[in-house]
Amino acid sequence: MPERPLNRICYVEDDEDIQRIVRMSLERVGKMTVEVVGDPTMALEAMTSFKPDLVMLDWMMPKMDGPAVFRQMKLRPDTSHLPVVFITAKAAQRDLDELAKMGAAGTISKPFSPKDLPDQLREIWKKLP
Amino acid sequence: MNHTSIADDAALAASRAAAPPGTVAGIRERADPRAVLADRVDQLYGQMWLGILTTFAIGAIATFEFWEMRLRELVLFWWGLVLVITAASGGLLYAYRRSGPRVADPEQWLRWLGIAALANGANWGFAGAVFFPSHTDEQQVFLAFLLAGMMSGGIPVYAASWPIFALYAAGIVAPFTYVLATFGNRLFTEIALLVPLFYAINVAIAYRLTQVFHSGYRLRHAYGRLTEDYSMLNQRLERQLVELDQARRQVEASGRKLELFAERAPIAVLEMDAQGAITEVNNAAELLFGYTAAELVGRDVRFLVRAEFHDEFDMRWKRMISSHAPEAGLIRNPRRDGMDVICDWTFTPLVNPEGTIIAVLAQGRDVTAQREAERVKKEFTSTLSHELRTPLTSIIGSLQLINTGVAGELAKDIGELTVVAERNGQRLLDLINDLLDMEKIESGKLTLSPDVIVLNEVVREAMVLNKAFGERFHVRFELASPLPGQTVVADRKRVLQIMTNLLSNAAKFSPEGGAVEIRMEEAGRDVRVEVQDRGPGIPEAFRSRIFGRFAQADSTASRQKGGTGLGLAICKRLVEMMSGRIGFQDRPGGGTIFWFELPRG
Repeated sequence: MPERPLNRICYVEDDEDIQRIVRMSLERVGKMTVEVVGDPTMALEAMTSFKPDLVMLDWMMPKMDGPAVFRQMKLRPDTSHLPVVFITAKAAQRDLDELAKMGAAGTISKPFSPKDLPDQLREIWKKLP
Repeated sequence: MNHTSIADDAALAASRAAAPPGTVAGIRERADPRAVLADRVDQLYGQMWLGILTTFAIGAIATFEFWEMRLRELVLFWWGLVLVITAASGGLLYAYRRSGPRVADPEQWLRWLGIAALANGANWGFAGAVFFPSHTDEQQVFLAFLLAGMMSGGIPVYAASWPIFALYAAGIVAPFTYVLATFGNRLFTEIALLVPLFYAINVAIAYRLTQVFHSGYRLRHAYGRLTEDYSMLNQRLERQLVELDQARRQVEASGRKLELFAERAPIAVLEMDAQGAITEVNNAAELLFGYTAAELVGRDVRFLVRAEFHDEFDMRWKRMISSHAPEAGLIRNPRRDGMDVICDWTFTPLVNPEGTIIAVLAQGRDVTAQREAERVKKEFTSTLSHELRTPLTSIIGSLQLINTGVAGELAKDIGELTVVAERNGQRLLDLINDLLDMEKIESGKLTLSPDVIVLNEVVREAMVLNKAFGERFHVRFELASPLPGQTVVADRKRVLQIMTNLLSNAAKFSPEGGAVEIRMEEAGRDVRVEVQDRGPGIPEAFRSRIFGRFAQADSTASRQKGGTGLGLAICKRLVEMMSGRIGFQDRPGGGTIFWFELPRG
């Protein structure tokens, strides 16, 4: 369990509506600091400058999907250590297994409840080494 | 019919093995010896009346002749014996005529006849022995003549059985010879020496005659058998001709049917030789590929296979030719118009009894449209799961945030409306999730991850998750009999889903302020979970289809309380996929108990 509480979240998501809901949920309900990235190709730059505690990646995005962003993160020393939580509507067990194998910290399935989202993230944060 | 003909064959084969057919000896061998004996006995009894009459008549004459002289009592006694023997013989003849099938026990009838013949002969011998010495010369000549006549007369009468004749004649000759030999007259002594010779000649003649009779009867029976065999063979031949004709008609009919079937079939049918050259195509094949039969016949079948699949096609063709086993699979076929069709083909080699492939039949079904439909369905399902859920996520999420008050306090009316909107958004999401689950289960795509789980924990988790739902109906969940530590083999997420369904159903139908009791108990090799409510119970008419799809007892209730009507159907399938059982029963004191059982871990 990390020593400090979860505060800074970087969220990569192309859907603006969901961006807004997640931002409001995390900021207002969870009292966290959120950086939302709409273009996944810009995600790594944003992470480097924002220095998040945890990264949330949407699974399905145009141009570049969540797993692709994750793989790129693993290649860069300043992002490879960041814990990653996937948000996905594809709840097939096969996909979840694949994510776990890739080293994801956790998954949250869509649709999620914005009321509970901060708590869900904190649960995952607590279980990190 | 077959049985008899097999039996006939066996009999024929056996007789053929016994002796070569066509020779007289061979034919004779076929006669049944008992039937031949019976015929001989019949012959003997058939002319018995002649012997009886003769005995009676000559006996009467002889009695009359001897009467004049001495020993009248003896003559009378002898006449009495003649009458007794005649009557007994008559009785025997009568009995034989009245007896059933003549073949039955011919030996016994022969023995009786032998006894009668011996008695008769001995009576004549007695006459010779007693009357000869005491009578005059003329009468002695008469007696000798009489006895000689009686003996030779016996030959035709007993010709069918020489031993009977031998007995009969011995009866006559033996006493008479003794008397002659001991008479003290030289001439008589010489005659006594001749009599046995005379007897022997007579027996020899009788023996010869018996042989003739025997052989005659045997031939008669053998030819009878031959005639039977012949007519039986004839009948069989006729029957087989009829069967052959029927079979020919059937083959013709099925050939025509097959032709019609292939010609009119909606599937493409190609006939090829073992090298793959097309020899015939049906109408459907012409339509499918856009070539006429005349254009296809004579071409190699690979003309209808895309070049990039030739290697695989050749490999499978060779495998089929060498193994004689059919090959089946999907092939991409080019059409005349340049488009491709995907067909599901079965190639079947036709092999003759010598093991040579005389033709290869290919049947192909165009599955292009079907595959397209499957792709569209898959895409639709995926669209439903992603494209519908994404906006719903935004809608429900927004409403939830509003309803939690993070966006500021709302006027009372607006607050009520956003709660309604959130609840119904959630209901829509539940429906989509249920539909997707159902679709996955029915198409066999739902995979479970069974694990050993602590049932108590999962049940408690489900109660916590559904607590808020229960509060909406003012219903609380109570765990009445927990089983701490008891494990089952099941998919944790799916058990939660089943519990959620049962708990929310129970909450919906419970009276306000009531409690839903959850009980757990061990049930043999399973663990049973019961969810007990105090609701109105399940209506009788609804019981049989409660686990069916879109099953709802009362549609107004579902509109008020939510629910898709798929929940229990999904529960049943999930429980069964986890090797468990699910059911319900009335709860004593009112209400319903829903239960499910899962195998112990």
